[in-house]
Formats: sequence, structure tokens, C-alpha cells
Amino acid sequence: MNVSIIRYILGYVLKIEAILLLLPCLVAVIYREPHWIFFLISAAIGAVVGTLMSWKKPERNIFYLKEGCITTALSWVALSLVGCLPFWLSREIPSFTDALFETISGFTTTGASILNDVEALSRGMLFWRSFTHWIGGMGILVFLLAIVPLSGGSNINLMRAESTGPAVGKLVPKVRYTARILYVIYMGMTVLQILLLLLGGLPLFDALTTSFGTAGTGGFGIYNTSIAGYSPYVQWVITIFMILFGVNFNAYFLLFFGQFKSALSIEEVRYYLLTILAAVGIIFFNILGTVKNVFEALTQSSFQVASIISSTGFSTVDFDTWNPMCKTVLVCLMFIGACAGSTGGGMKVSRFVLVVKTIGKELSSYVHPKSVKKIKVDGKPISHDVVRSVNVYFVTFILVFVISLLLITIEGYDLVTNFTTIATLINNIGPGLALVGPTRNFSFFSDFSKYVLMFDMLAGRLELFPVLIFFHPELWREVFSKFSIRPRG
Amino acid sequence: MRQFNQSASAGLRIIIVGCGKVGVTLIDQLSKEGHDITILDRNPEKIQEISSLYDVLGIVGNGASYSVQKEAGVDKADLIIAVTESDELNLLCCTIARRVGNCAAIARVRTPDYSKEVGYLREKLGLAMIINPELEAAKEAVRILYLPTALEVNSFAHGQAELVKFKIPEDDNVLHDKAIAQLDRSITDHILICAVERDGDVHIPSGNFRLASGDILYFVATRKDGRDFLKRIGFQTKQVKNCLIIGGGKSTYYLASLLISNGIFVKIIENNPAQCELLSVLLPKAVIINGDGTNQELLKEAGIQDAEAVVPLTGIDEENIMLTLFAKQVSHAKVITKINRITFTNVIDNLDLGSVIYPKYIASEAIIAYVRARKAASKDSNIETLYHMFNSQVEAIEFHVSQNSAATDIPLMDLKLKKHLLVAFIGRMGSIIIPTGKDCIRKGDNVMIVTTHSGFKDILDILD
Repeated sequence: MNVSIIRYILGYVLKIEAILLLLPCLVAVIYREPHWIFFLISAAIGAVVGTLMSWKKPERNIFYLKEGCITTALSWVALSLVGCLPFWLSREIPSFTDALFETISGFTTTGASILNDVEALSRGMLFWRSFTHWIGGMGILVFLLAIVPLSGGSNINLMRAESTGPAVGKLVPKVRYTARILYVIYMGMTVLQILLLLLGGLPLFDALTTSFGTAGTGGFGIYNTSIAGYSPYVQWVITIFMILFGVNFNAYFLLFFGQFKSALSIEEVRYYLLTILAAVGIIFFNILGTVKNVFEALTQSSFQVASIISSTGFSTVDFDTWNPMCKTVLVCLMFIGACAGSTGGGMKVSRFVLVVKTIGKELSSYVHPKSVKKIKVDGKPISHDVVRSVNVYFVTFILVFVISLLLITIEGYDLVTNFTTIATLINNIGPGLALVGPTRNFSFFSDFSKYVLMFDMLAGRLELFPVLIFFHPELWREVFSKFSIRPRG
Repeated sequence: MRQFNQSASAGLRIIIVGCGKVGVTLIDQLSKEGHDITILDRNPEKIQEISSLYDVLGIVGNGASYSVQKEAGVDKADLIIAVTESDELNLLCCTIARRVGNCAAIARVRTPDYSKEVGYLREKLGLAMIINPELEAAKEAVRILYLPTALEVNSFAHGQAELVKFKIPEDDNVLHDKAIAQLDRSITDHILICAVERDGDVHIPSGNFRLASGDILYFVATRKDGRDFLKRIGFQTKQVKNCLIIGGGKSTYYLASLLISNGIFVKIIENNPAQCELLSVLLPKAVIINGDGTNQELLKEAGIQDAEAVVPLTGIDEENIMLTLFAKQVSHAKVITKINRITFTNVIDNLDLGSVIYPKYIASEAIIAYVRARKAASKDSNIETLYHMFNSQVEAIEFHVSQNSAATDIPLMDLKLKKHLLVAFIGRMGSIIIPTGKDCIRKGDNVMIVTTHSGFKDILDILD
């Protein structure tokens, strides 16, 4: 295993984070808050450690899927460890576990908080909290690939480990330009949303943090009431952008180059929009009797549906008070999630499309046992390997889900709380139901449960396998043997 | 796509159809040189495997289909290279690509049936290049058989200069432990030692570099001067008179017909009777023996002990290597080994097989030289040709000197040249000058330099 390239890339990730940490530092300085020093200290720590780690260039640039997965998982852990320092050092979040939980929740774009009173946080901290969403949304390694010239073609393995969806493709022949195009689209859409929110009369700070939360499909609000305090115009802007950030970015790439027809014919995007329509419809009719007018019912239902399916997790109402039908629909949406290749979480629409098609194929093999049928998506045959990996993904997902559920049930909260806690965190959404409903938070869990939940968030964001690979014994054997045979390490 | 690529990368947009041996060699080389590469193959596993190893965009499909080519972006591509198994498919690919897009096209065509029509096909179909790895390999083998002491002979400057590779033998006493500057002028006249490989490291030698037996030398000279040099240091330089070829495939046909036209007596051993008959029709002057070429008795009967050259050309690399080792044991023949598939170059180098030719590298080198020249032409650069040697450790670059500058009209010994750099030859008015310190570069010259540096664009880059 190529340990030195892993070290090198981790160092780079930390260096980039150090630079990014200067932004909230600047915000704190502008608002004349004394907390700027903590950002500076954290940035310095990141810079020093990062520089030391990336000091020596690796001899070989080659890395395979294995190294890609390990690098990705470790990068996210390193990112979170340094990222939580400002919260912890400044004592705004006194417990280290809580600070780490909040940061992982930020980077994985979950948006689940342990804070009872968000508004008590300083401006700099609020900004950093939302900014972690934006960094985590498209991914730090994709960013790295876009700006750092890592030679060698195997860096597609990094992108594969970090990007969402069953089969990661490129837009253009080179990874580097693919990564750049993704970030250009991402930034462009974020800026557009900021402008639209400013038009709606939001202060710049609110517009920035809300847009970061939407773009990364994160969901940290800066008020205790999340988005509920904003005007309907602002709510609709956020609704539309939540849906947009949940769309496969390939579609925007195609749109950008005028290939409207092929952009609209992406099956996944069509099913995604259909699901949204259906869910909004069901909830709209169910809450129609409980709100003032039709417009409000439409605003509330579409905001909540968009928020959950895109895995953002903003809320404008306490949907825990809605009737069971609505709640069930929302929980289902949690699992479906956004499109592959978007910033959203969940199990991804494309996986569901594939699984439903596989079921159809299986059924028809009962009718015609000898029939041969190849599963197709977007008119292209899908290789058996992809189908198999999607099936395994589902099974693994359920397994991780059940084990996590059992682990946090030790504490003895009720099933709805526990179930929706895991569902909302592993799918990187934010709010759940009952004790973890939209108006509440996760602070009541024990430290042990919080570490389980942090693992779930990371596993969910990186789509299980890059994180689970650490449980493979052969990997550890390789790491140990690597260090023992090098006498002058 | 266009805007992004143009602003971001300087490489060409290249589509490679077919991911076989030559295809992968091309992908490896061209992706290292920073081109935007899209690969096409019918086999999804192959595409999957290659696109996770190299920074390329993979598309599964039939390369000759219009819609697949369209998906690969043929309308915006600069170059399409078709290297699938089938000649006809390659030609069809290129023909369609020429119609759809405005890209240059290179096809691999290797069936002997077409070999005489290559010029015609190329012109009528508007192709930039038709490459025949087997024929190129045969040509290289012939060059070596002309100068049997050499391990490798490459031609430069349209055949006017040759780059000859040879190994200093263990019992040598002319070159061993001598600094290059100490060598007698009468020996090194008109030749230039431009690179020395020792224990896997490549040196660009300066005057006080000490040679040792076992070193592998590269020198440039005209064909006649090179031969004279080898003769002066005590090598046999007579060309071979007869040649035994084992195996009767396409490359055998090309090699045998080239040898026969040069008056060399050829014997071919081939296992398949039908193939033997075909060869006997195509090559009436050759002796065709039907039998198993790996049978020692048969080889002895065919006279392997007395053969002056043995070239195993079976389709199986391992057999070729075994036959080479056997031939070296029982005879003093010059042996050339052809390796098609095996990629363990280091192991092969250590086996001391003598001359080894790799058709896939020969083919890809020719294509890469074309791509480099095209890329150079698209930018402000005076590079005429660029070759990589010793696994890209050394570059040989031919510049055209179009104007007077700090590097011109000053004797080479007074120029402050970079370290690890040599001026290998100067092409002036159609003839080749192997420079001494007193020669100068003049306006209008073509100058070949050899260096371990990379990224040269202009003749001024040679100055420190």
C-alpha cells in the first residue's frame, strides 16, 4: 500500500482547511468578536501539521481504489478533527465530543445539531458552521483534485470514493477539469442563490449562511426556528434551490452546453422530480385542513419535502405535529434521498431505480424462466457489476442501520426517536421525529451514542465502503507490515 | 466542452479506438503527455479497468458507429487513432470520423493484402498515417541485421543519420576504462557518443566520462561512419548472409520479403501446412520448412548452428525467448527477439537476449512522434521531432534554427551549454555534420540535441 501518498494528500487537505479557516476568522474580525484568535490558532495548527505531512513528496503517485478509499475516509476525519477546534477552544461548545459531532454533522452536510440555543453562538462560529456544509457538499477531495496537480491517472479513485452514486463518471477526459467544472457549477449556483436571497431583503450574513446550508444540502440554520422566520419569497427561493442542489450535476453540465434534450432525458432526474411531486401532493392534501390557506399548505409541504429529499434538513414548521401519513412519507423520502452526483445524501434515486428494475427483471424471470433481459438506464445497458454493487449497498446499508440502532437503543429512548435518529443521520438529513424532531436537537444522547452517530454520518456521506474498508483485517496487516519492514521509517 | 478544454489544457483531444496492446501503450504515453483522451472499446471490463488506471474518459461501444463516435466528441476531436484487431474496422472508423469531424486520423493496417496499397488507401481516405507495426518491426530487424553488432539501430533525419546502440564487450581493450576525451581522434572521428547506460542509469557523457566494459553506448553517425567506427574498435560489421526465421506469421512475411530483396538467403520454419503453402507462393525465393519450430532436432536439421542470423517470430513471447536462448547456445548467430505482449521489460533486459524488438512500442512511437509534432506545430515552438529514449529518461530533440540568436555563429566550445546536454548532429544543406567544439550552429540549420532535461521549446533553451 502506498502510505506516503495518503500522508501527502492528507497534508494537503489540512493545508486547504487552514486557508478556509481564515474566512470565519475574517468574519469574527468584522463583527469585532474576540473569537477570531481561535480560528487563527486552529488554522495555524492545520497549516503546521499539513505542511509537515506534505513536506516530502511521495516517490510513487500511483494509488488504487483501496488507497483512494482510505485517503478519503482519513481526510474527512482529519478535516473534522481540525474543524472542531474553534468550537472547542473557544468553549462555545465546551465538550470535545459535542464539538466534533457538530463539525462532522457540518462536513457531512447532515445539519444535526447538539446546540440548545443556536442564537447564542457568535457570528464567526455560525459562519464556520454553515461554511463546513459548503465545503463538505461537493467534497474537499474533489476541490483538491481541481486545484492541486496530482499527476497520474489513478486519482479518479479519489473522486470515486468521495462522490455520490453507484457509478461515478467523468464529464471530460481529465479528472482535474471534471472537478473544476463541478466546482464552477457549484459556485455559480451558490452565488445565484445568495443574490436571490439578498433581493428578498435578507441581510448579507443570513444570505451567505443560508446559501451555504442549501448548496451543501446541509441544513444548519442560524436561528432556533431554522427558516420559519423568513418571508414566503425567501422560503420559496430556498425550496427551489434545495431541489436544484439535489439534481445530478451532469444535468447542469449538459444544460450548460445546450444539450437540453439529453439533460432532460436523464432518467434519474425525472424520477427525482416525480417523487417530489407525488410527496408534495400527498402532504399538501393531508395538511390542507390544518393551515390558513392553500398557498400556505403548498409552501409548507413543498418546503419540507424538498428539505428532506435533498437531505438538507431546514424546516419551516414542526412536522412532528403532522399526521402519521405525512410523517411516514417524510421518513420514506429520507431513505430515497437525492440524485447521484449531487451534493445531497440518502441512498440516491439512481440506486432505487436500479433496484426496482432488478425486481422487475427477477419477476419476469418467474414468468419466462429462460428469458434474457439486460437492465438499462438512460437507454444504456448496465453492467452486472454495478447491479451487484447496488444490491450489496442496500444490504450493507440495512446492516449498518440495524447495528447502529441496536447500539443507541442501549440508552432506552423510544423506537421512533431511535429509528428516525439513525435514518436522519445516516442519510445526512438533520431533523428526525419525536425527541429529535425539527424543533429539538441531539444533545441528550450519551457520548457513546454520539460517536456511533458520528460514524453513521461519515459512513452515510462517503457511501459506506470507504469507511467500512477500515474493518477489513488485511488492510491492517498491510499497514503494520509496512511499518515493520521499514527500518529507517 | 470546448471552452473548458481550451482554456484549461494545452493537450490535443484524442480519441483512441481499441484497447489492445498498442492501444494501451498509446494511452499510457499520451495521457502522461497531458492530452485529453477518450477511449472506445466494445468490452466494458476493459474500459472500466483502463479508465481507473489512466486519466481518460471511457466509452463502451463500437468505434465505427456514428452515434458512438458522436458521443466520444469526434466533432471536436483533433485526432482519432484506430487500433482495433481488425484492419477493416480501423479503416471504417477513420473514414467515418473524417466525414463527421475535422480530425486527423491514424489507422493500423497490418494484413499483407493491404500492405502494397497503403499509400493509395491513405491518400484516398484522407488519413494522416497508416501504421503497420509488423512491417515497422521487420524494418527495424533488417536494420539490425545490416549491422549485426548493434543492439538497436534507429534512423533520424530522414535516414541520413543513425542512432546505434551497442554494448561494450567484457573482453574489450579499446574503450574500457578510457575517458571519452582520451580516445584517439582517429577512432572517434565523425561519431558522437551521446548517451551511456550503466546499471540502469543513463548518463549524457562529458569529455572526462570513463567508459567501462558492459556499458551500453548510443552513438550518432551516418551509416557509413558508424560502420567504420565499429570496425576500428574491432567489431565484426559484415551484414549477415543468411537468416533462419522460426514461425510464419505476418511479421515473417514482411521480414522475409525485405531480406530477400536485399539478397539475404531466408529459411522459414512453420508448423501450419496451409500457412507454409501460402508463404511459398508469396515468397518463392525462400526455403519453407513445415514442422514444429520448437523441436530441437528439426532446428538442427534446418541448420541453426550455421545460421548467421536467427529470428524467432512465433506468436508466443515465451517461445521466442526460449528459442533465442537456445540459438545463442548452439550457434554464433545474431539473434533478434520479438516481444509482443510481455511487459516485464526489466526481466527481459537482464536475460541478455541481445536485440529485442517490441512491435507495439515501435507502432506507438511512430504515432506519438506524429502527435508531438502536431502539438508542437499548434504552438509557438521550433521543435521538428522529439524522441524519448531509455524509458523517457532521455529526450532527443530536433530543432529548426530559423533566426540568428545567442546560440548561433559561436563555436560550440564557447557556448555555455546546460549540463547533461549534447549537440548530437547538425543538419546543414541536406548533409549531416557530427559537430566538434569548433563547429557553430548557423541560421537555417536543423540541430539535434540529446538531453536528460525536458520541456525544451527553442534552441535557446540549450544555453545555461
